[in-house]
Order: sequence, then structure tokens, then C-alpha cells
Amino acid sequence: MNIVVCVKQVPDTEALIKVKADGSGIDEGGIKWVMNPYDEFGVEEALKLKEKNGGDVTIVSVGPARALETIRTALAMGAEKGIHINDPALEGADAYTTASALAAAIKEIPHDIVFCGMRAIDDDAGQVGSILAELLGIPQVTVVTKLEVADGKATAVKAIEGAQLVIETSLPCVITAAKGLNEPRYASLPGIMKAKKKPVDVKDAAALGISVAAKAKIVKMMPPPERAPGKIVGGEEAAEKAAQLVKLLREEAKVI
Amino acid sequence: MSNLLVNTRDQKFLIYEQIGIEKLFAFDRFADYSQDVVDMVLSEAEKMAVEVIAPTLEEGDKEGAQFKDGKAYAPSCYQEPFKKYCEAGWLCASEEPEVGGQNLPVMLRTAVGELFAAANMSFTMYPGLTHGAANLVKVHGTEEQKNKYMYKMFAGEWGGTMCLTEPGAGSDVGALRTSAKRLPDGRFSITGTKCFISSGDHDLTENIVHPVLARIEGDPPGTKGISIFVVPKIRVNDDGSLGEPNDVVTGNIEHKMGIKGSATATLNFGENGNCIGELLGGEREGMKIMFQMMNEARLDVGLQGQAVASAAFEHAVAYSKERIQSKSALAGKDPNAEALPIINHPPVRRMLMWMKAYLEGIRALNYFTGFSIDVSHASSSEEERNKYGGYVEIMTPICKAFSSDRGVEICSKAMDVYGGYGFCQEYPVEQYMRDCKITQIYEGTNQIQALDLIGRKLGQNGGMNIMSLFEEISATISRVKERENLRSYAAKLEEAYNSVAELPMKFIEFFKSGKPAATIQNAEPFLAVMGDLLCGWLLLQGADIALEKLDAIYKEAGADTVEKQKALAENNTEAAFYEGKIASAKFFASEILPTVRTRCEIVKAGEIIPVEIAEVSFAY
Ligand SMILES: Cc1cc2nc3c(=O)[nH]c(=O)nc-3n(C[C@H](O)[C@H](O)[C@H](O)COP(=O)(O)OP(=O)(O)OC[C@H]3O[C@@H](n4cnc5c(N)ncnc54)[C@H](O)[C@@H]3O)c2cc1C
Repeated sequence: MNIVVCVKQVPDTEALIKVKADGSGIDEGGIKWVMNPYDEFGVEEALKLKEKNGGDVTIVSVGPARALETIRTALAMGAEKGIHINDPALEGADAYTTASALAAAIKEIPHDIVFCGMRAIDDDAGQVGSILAELLGIPQVTVVTKLEVADGKATAVKAIEGAQLVIETSLPCVITAAKGLNEPRYASLPGIMKAKKKPVDVKDAAALGISVAAKAKIVKMMPPPERAPGKIVGGEEAAEKAAQLVKLLREEAKVI
Repeated sequence: MSNLLVNTRDQKFLIYEQIGIEKLFAFDRFADYSQDVVDMVLSEAEKMAVEVIAPTLEEGDKEGAQFKDGKAYAPSCYQEPFKKYCEAGWLCASEEPEVGGQNLPVMLRTAVGELFAAANMSFTMYPGLTHGAANLVKVHGTEEQKNKYMYKMFAGEWGGTMCLTEPGAGSDVGALRTSAKRLPDGRFSITGTKCFISSGDHDLTENIVHPVLARIEGDPPGTKGISIFVVPKIRVNDDGSLGEPNDVVTGNIEHKMGIKGSATATLNFGENGNCIGELLGGEREGMKIMFQMMNEARLDVGLQGQAVASAAFEHAVAYSKERIQSKSALAGKDPNAEALPIINHPPVRRMLMWMKAYLEGIRALNYFTGFSIDVSHASSSEEERNKYGGYVEIMTPICKAFSSDRGVEICSKAMDVYGGYGFCQEYPVEQYMRDCKITQIYEGTNQIQALDLIGRKLGQNGGMNIMSLFEEISATISRVKERENLRSYAAKLEEAYNSVAELPMKFIEFFKSGKPAATIQNAEPFLAVMGDLLCGWLLLQGADIALEKLDAIYKEAGADTVEKQKALAENNTEAAFYEGKIASAKFFASEILPTVRTRCEIVKAGEIIPVEIAEVSFAY
């Protein structure tokens, strides 16, 4: 079974994000980079499938030189090889361009199943997986919390509001992973040592033959407004305080 | 953003910029390593420490190790993390691939060990002792013993311990009474009681292999008559499967001030005359062999003290930025002055500065010792191997005692930073302080470490070991004196160095002039000035490097005035870090090093008042 996992390198959830003074992006100084947590679920699921059915796991990532660390982490977890799509023109690429790059790379290799995270925690768009499936012309199941693959079919559980859908699809397909799918393993020390020797192909946009003309552009980034200090509701009696609170909620906060 | 355990930037500074792990990459043993591999090792260890081990800190303390119906249990929350830790290969990381390891440089093992111990020191006792015990079998065991015990121990399937202490034999191991009686098949019947045995009994592994010190019947008293035996809790059949219990009975576990998650057991060997042990190495070689494990354990214990202090410090800094209390003392009587986060108050800042400087000093000490072990093992030059091996000898008692002494003080100051809240169990610093305390006591009390330093290590190799360490220090002094911005601090290091360097001769003089008590009772003060000298040395060496990097950052950013530089550091984490390194070294040189000379004068005066005072005069 040939399994492909798309991974993105993102700032650690704990990282203190500072927007650059000119609003063109975030200040990358001092940031710790990690694998997008939803992609970790994808890697883990791929490794479990491989361990059960045999085959190969290929990691694909679009990103600058540092993204190689994230590919290596997935290799240390147990994947076989990597494709690193590194092109300055793809820096800050929109979801469509990123998906085109991934699709171009994945088309060239055998793929029975392709995993993505349901979204990346940096820009939270949640589009790449779906666009990728369209570009590859294969079915997709998104936000998957449980997966079974047997007899050339995938059966996936997808949570929707108040219910669960059980969706069956033919292979190949794209699955986007959600929390709950599995518990990602930690890269082992022997895994780390082996990862160094595993092959990683580096490709740029020209090699993939894709257009890098963005469909969407980030005009400006701004930090969220600073939160105003809290207010303590005065008054002697509970009833008085409640009345005061309702008044504030209505007139100041305008939430009721 | 801090992980609240260890400053990983300082780790990388030591590893890459100051001590220079790339020197190790040149040795065959470490040929598979490179900076990107080291980066990944550090980040995976951090992940395991933060996500898997740290969550067991409080729960493991509350639940504690338990003793029920003759069996001891580790806190239940340790089970899964222990498996994950072993599966990821951390237990035997530094061993050769043939036994399941990855030849991880000891310097790097020190760094990852710091992360793990900062996350939960009690937890790390179980794999730590297992590693040490397995290593004894690796170096001294027969092929059969290795096949039977070692691989499973390195894999974390079976646990390990070190069994020295007995009720009547603590600091004085030679007084032990556990005996070994020859059996016809060449094995031995072991009888005796060991107490305070860490990981002596627990349910994390299905078997536990005890290296036990005992005296073969008829062998001479004292340490020279001691042999060491491999004694499994459950006997192992020839095919590797588990057989009968081996008459190793757990009497109880201790109820302790700290490291409550670590089971400290009393073990009764051969109560029913049915405990069988296999000799490890030669007869009467027990002390020599066990010293291999003790040296490793001493460095681990020093690192524990430093690691817990690191977690306490990181928490204290974070707290001091959040806790708002009191307006600035500099605001005078202005009633409208606002209360500030306590980090703004000079006395709080001073505590934090003291903690930071010592923490970075002892961290450097431990990492440098790890590096020295690597060079002493792997260098192709015999001269270099010997030189660095000598450093390890000298450094071991200092790393153990000085890191744990300063570690406990750092934890105590962290509690002071928290004020009354620090004393309460809602905040972790009270646990850090409780856990850290044992590092001064076990694995040879710090008094015993000091005696080891002056009694054995100073004169070792004809005094050459200490001399070549002193040469390193004077080389740094000469170099740093060239730097205008650090010159006055280098002068303070030089003064401290000159004073300490006179002490070894003085000790010999005391002995020759019939005043050995003056040497013995000054062992601890000597270890303390050595510790300060070494920290001062390593901090200044670091500042020298940091200054160069900082200058480059300023130059690139065009920050040519103090104001611009300050503003830059606000937004540039690298500049802020290097500023911090330089401040640590300057503070240490200004505040600590000048005390060294006076303390050396006190030692030289040779007063022995504590020895002369009559016992009856101590207490009424
Ligand atoms: C939690 C815990 C875990 C432990 N784990 C282990 C373990 O896994 N394996 C193991 O074998 N042991 C273990 N120990 C035992 C530990 O190593 C001993 O407690 C320690 O070596 C001191 O021995 P003691 O308690 O008998 O104290 P004592 O030897 O009675 O010492 C009491 C005091 O006298 C001082 N003193 C004694 N002799 C001298 C001397 N010659 N010169 C100067 N001062 C001296 C000591 O420094 C100390 O201040 C553990 C202890 C504890 C509390």
C-alpha cells in the first residue's frame, strides 16, 4: 500500500507570535517550529496502516529550508521517504497554490491513500486537503476521527454537529485527520538516527511544472486588539449586583 | 516561550557555542551525529519531557509509591510514560548499537537527562538505576550474564538497582554485613538486609535485577573484602523465561519528604536461605566494580539537583512577571503609584539574578563533565583521553555536591520569590524543594564527596589532573583579559584562582605538621571554593563568546548606542539571550568570586574549633 502524508511546519502552539511592524507577516525570530498537530495524526494513521498492510509512507511538505526538520521528524517516526517542495516563490502561498504544488508532486508517485491534517494551526484555513483531492480527481473524506481500510475501500467516521457520519469510499482517496483519530507516537532515538539516511527529494515549482501565481494575497496582518481590563461589579446585595451586571452586559458589552 | 523546565537556548549555547559538540563529531564513535541530528534529539526529548513526563509530577507525588501485601508499586501514572520512555530508546541512549543504544554523546545525554529530571526527578530514578545496573553487567558480566540480564534491562523490560546501603553501613560501605556463601555449582547463597534501595521493588517491570554488595564467607573485613553479585528478584531460566521467586522480600518502603514517586525499599535477601546470586567480575572486586555505577550515579544526582533547580527557576521567573504586588520603592510616597509585577522590585531581581548565574554555572559544569567523558572514551589521542579522563575524576565529586548544594538553594530562593504561595501545595516550587533535598544526601553525602575530592582526587595522577584543569582556567583568564569589556571580571577570576590554587599545598602542609584535622574539616569549604572557581571560569568563558555574538548582532542592526541596544534586545530574543549570559558572568564575578579569596584565607588559617570543642559543649 502506498501512503502519502502531507505535513506542514507551523509555529509551536506555545510560541509567542509577534506581527512584523510592517504587517507583512509574523516575526520568525525565536519561534520554535513544529509539525502541525493535525498532520501528526495523519502520519500516525499512515504508519499504522503500513504496519498492518505493508507498503511505504511518503511525506510531502511545502515550505522553506527549515521545513526539512518536520519531514525528518516524520521520517524519524517511521515514514520511508520525503519530498520537500522548496521554492521562494511558494513562501506564504495561498491554499490553492499549496494544494497545486502538493498535487503535482503526488501525481508523480503511486498513492492509494493521501492524508492531510484537517487544518493547519497557523492560518487555520482548512482548505488544502479538499482542493488537493479535487486536483487529484479522487474522493475525499474530511475531519475523520476513525478509519478502516480493507478490500480496496476506506470506511471513515466523520463527526458532524450532533451526529457521526460513516462514509465509505473507494481508493485512492484523501483523508483529512482530526483529533481523536489516534495518539501520535513519539519519534524514537533509533528512528532519529535512521531518519538522517532516508531519502528526501527536493523540488521547486519549475520541476513540478506549476504556476505560482497566487489567487489570494495577504494584505496586512494585525495582532488582535489588546483585551480591556476586567470590571468588578459593585453593590451590596446579590440582586443589586445582578441588576448591575445585566445593565453592563446590555449597555456596555452589548451582548444581550 | 519557556517550557517552564529548562532554558533550551542555554542548552544549545553550551552544546554548540561554548563547549562545542562538533569536536566530538570528528571521533569515529560519533560519526553518525551532526547538528541537525542533535537538534532533533533535543526537541524530541523536550517533547517527551513536557508532554509525557511532566504531567506525572504532581500526581506521582500525591499518590506516591505504595506498599501493599508485601509488594511495592510505582505511582500508577508512571506506567504509560515508562513504556513510552523506554520504547523511544532513552534508557540506553548512550550505549553501543549492539546492545540497543545509539552512541549518544554523554554531553547530549546530560542535556536530555536535564529535561527529563526537570520534568519529574522521581520518575527518572526507575530508568536511571536500570541503566546503571545494566551497564555493570555490560562491562563486568560474562557472555551468559549479558544474554540473561543485560539486553532486557537496556530495553526497560526488567528493572535494576544498586544495593549498597545497610542499616549499619551507610557512608561506611565497608561495614556491610550481607554475606555470600559458596554453593557447589559456583553460585552463591546471599543473606542480608539492604535498606534505602531506590526502585528496589515496583510494578513497572516484571523482574528486577539487583547488583548486591556482599562479603564472601571468610573474606577480610572492610571494603577490600567486598564482592558484587547479580541477584534477580525472580530467577531466570536458561531459555530466558522467568522461573521461581528468588527469596528477595520487600520489607517496606520509606515514607519520605520528597521523591515520593520513587519507591525506596528495604530488601531482605535470603530470609528463607533461598536467595541465589551470581558473582559479577572477580571475587573481592566488588567495590571497584560498583564504583563504575557510583560514578555514573553521582553525575546523575548532581544533574538531578541542577535540573530540579532549573524547573524551579523557570517557574519563579514566570511567576515574578505575573504577580503584582507593591509599588516601586523608588516611587517614594506617591500614593498614586501603581503596584508592579514583583520582578520590578530590586530584591526580587537580585534573587533571580543569583539563581540564574549559579544555575547556568552548574549547568555548564555538568555539560563540560559530560563532554569530558566523551573525549576520554572516544578520542583517538591517548594523551587527550587521559587528560579528559582526569577532569572527569576531579569533577565527579564537585558536580555531585556543588550542583546539589546550589540546586537546593536555588529551589529555596524560588520559593522566596513566590512568597507565601510558594510554601503552599498549589504551586510546584514546594515539591521542587522537597524533591531536590535528597540530592545532597544520597549517592554519598556531600560531606563524603568533599572527602573524596581532597583525599583521593586532588593527589591523583601525581596532582597532574588538577594541574591541567588549572591550566585551562588560566588560559581563559589570559584570553578574556584581552577583552576590554570583560577585563575587570577576568581579574576577579584570576584573584580567586590564585587563592584556590594555593590550597592543595596547604593541605599537605597541615598533614605534615600533624594537623590532619585542619585538612579534613576543610574539605567542604574547599569543594565549595572549587565549585565557585569552576562556575566563574565557565561563565566567563561563555560571556566571552556571547559578547562576540552580541557585537555582531548589534553591528548588523546598526545598534550603536546603549538605548538602541536595549530596544533591540526587547524584540530580538537572541540579543536578549546573549545579554543575559554576559550579565550572569558579570554578576558572578562581581558578587561571588570576590568571596573566594577570604574563604581561602579562612581555610589556610587552619582553625579547628569544631574539632576542639568538647562534645558535651554542643548542646545543653
Ligand atoms: C531516598 C533515598 C534513596 C536511596 N537510594 C539508595 C540506593 O538506591 N542504593 C543504596 O545503596 N543506597 C541508597 N540510599 C542510601 C544513601 O546513599 C545513604 O543514606 C547515604 O549514603 C548516607 O548513609 P546513612 O544514611 O547511613 O548516613 P550516615 O552514614 O549515618 O551519615 C550521617 C551523617 O554523618 C556524616 N558522615 C558519616 N561518615 C562520615 C565520614 N567518614 N566523614 C564525614 N562525614 C561522615 C554524613 O555525611 C552525614 O552527614 C538512599 C537513601 C535515600 C534517603
